[in-house]
Amino acid sequence: MATDPTPVTLKREGDLLKIEWNDGITTTVPWKTLRAKCPCATCIEERKKPADPFRILTSQEVEAGAPLPLAMLPVGHYAYKIAWNDGHDTGIYPLTLLRELGDKK
Amino acid sequence: MNAQMPSKVSLPGVKQVIAVASGKGGVGKSTVAANLAMALHISGHAVGLMDADIYGPSVPIMFGLGMVDPKTTVFPIEKYGIRLMSMGFLVDVNQAVIWRGPKVAQAVQSFLTQIDWGQLDYLIIDLPPGTGDAQLTLSQSAPLTGAVVVTTPGEVSLIDARKGVKMFGEVRVPILGIVENMSYFEDATGTKTPIFGVGGGARLAQESDVAFLGELPIDPRVAQCCDQGEPIVRKYPDAAIARSYMALAKTVADAANKPTATALPFLQL
Ligand SMILES: Nc1ncnc2c1ncn2[C@@H]1O[C@H](COP(=O)(O)OP(=O)(O)OP(=O)(O)O)[C@@H](O)[C@H]1O
Ligand SMILES: [Mg+2]
Ligand SMILES: [Zn+2]
Repeated sequence: MATDPTPVTLKREGDLLKIEWNDGITTTVPWKTLRAKCPCATCIEERKKPADPFRILTSQEVEAGAPLPLAMLPVGHYAYKIAWNDGHDTGIYPLTLLRELGDKK
Repeated sequence: MNAQMPSKVSLPGVKQVIAVASGKGGVGKSTVAANLAMALHISGHAVGLMDADIYGPSVPIMFGLGMVDPKTTVFPIEKYGIRLMSMGFLVDVNQAVIWRGPKVAQAVQSFLTQIDWGQLDYLIIDLPPGTGDAQLTLSQSAPLTGAVVVTTPGEVSLIDARKGVKMFGEVRVPILGIVENMSYFEDATGTKTPIFGVGGGARLAQESDVAFLGELPIDPRVAQCCDQGEPIVRKYPDAAIARSYMALAKTVADAANKPTATALPFLQL
């Protein structure tokens, strides 16, 4: 139970999220990747649809530019909720997902 | 995980929030919750007991209470020194409350947020049996210190208890330990006869790498006390099972007060 790695620090380093874990591993992951892998129900549905070549970005998305977090808040002991600069904020990222998506050092 | 993730409720006056859970129904979860609460109170702590079993509330019966007029009653209701809240105070237990998941979650949420629990050392929550949405919501939204999982020694109960352990693991609620109820029957000569199997609780604790909090004997007076509205630790403090509940309270208190997982760090921008 107590063996699952837990973050010690979370830092925003430019385009990257850098996490130091309590087992000594450091992971980095681009915010862009995190935004693309948003685990909320809406985004999961969205990703199941075939790519739409004519999809037009919403004005909010255009204005926002590259995905960046406005806030990233702990949810209990097991996840983080990220509020993005494009207005999307329903994704809850379990620690296991954050760990999986990161490049390990 | 869904989009309507409940946000964490904060209970600033409550030091420790402990959920009593089981995978399977009828293993004695409510009895353990009530006697654990009572035992903690007898040990000198300020204690609350919240009955989160919306469909099958048992706190009113176990404490000799029934429905009250919510317009003239201040919740929580105090009995034997314990602050109590249950759906059974508001609706007739025999008239099945047919509510859907979200409404149940709402009711439970309001017990946490709209009731002034005051200053408490321990708030014990009697969770409904199973590992469905209600249990998950509560585990995510209540500021739980940890959970106590109740099982009986037999294999059927263990399968479900294992699911419970897994659920808490997934939402990273620490498991304070596993209690095995109805472990054996002890006759007047002190001979212990197991009825429902042997050693299941300890095995589950070992395989899940969590603490085993002990065994509770079978005692027919447990059910009798329940019907009479007074937990056995209070009514027959010298009974073997009462002493087991007192010991359990101490072990649970120690486990709850042991510094465990620190809160997750915030993002440094
Ligand atoms: N150690 C015990 N010895 C004898 N009877 C017991 C013991 N523990 C519980 N019981 C009895 O077993 C029955 C079920 O207990 P209880 O209601 O606490 O279980 P539960 O797990 O909360 O059930 P539910 O799933 O319905 O909420 C009750 O009649 C109770 O009095
Ligand atoms: Mg019960
Ligand atoms: Zn999303």
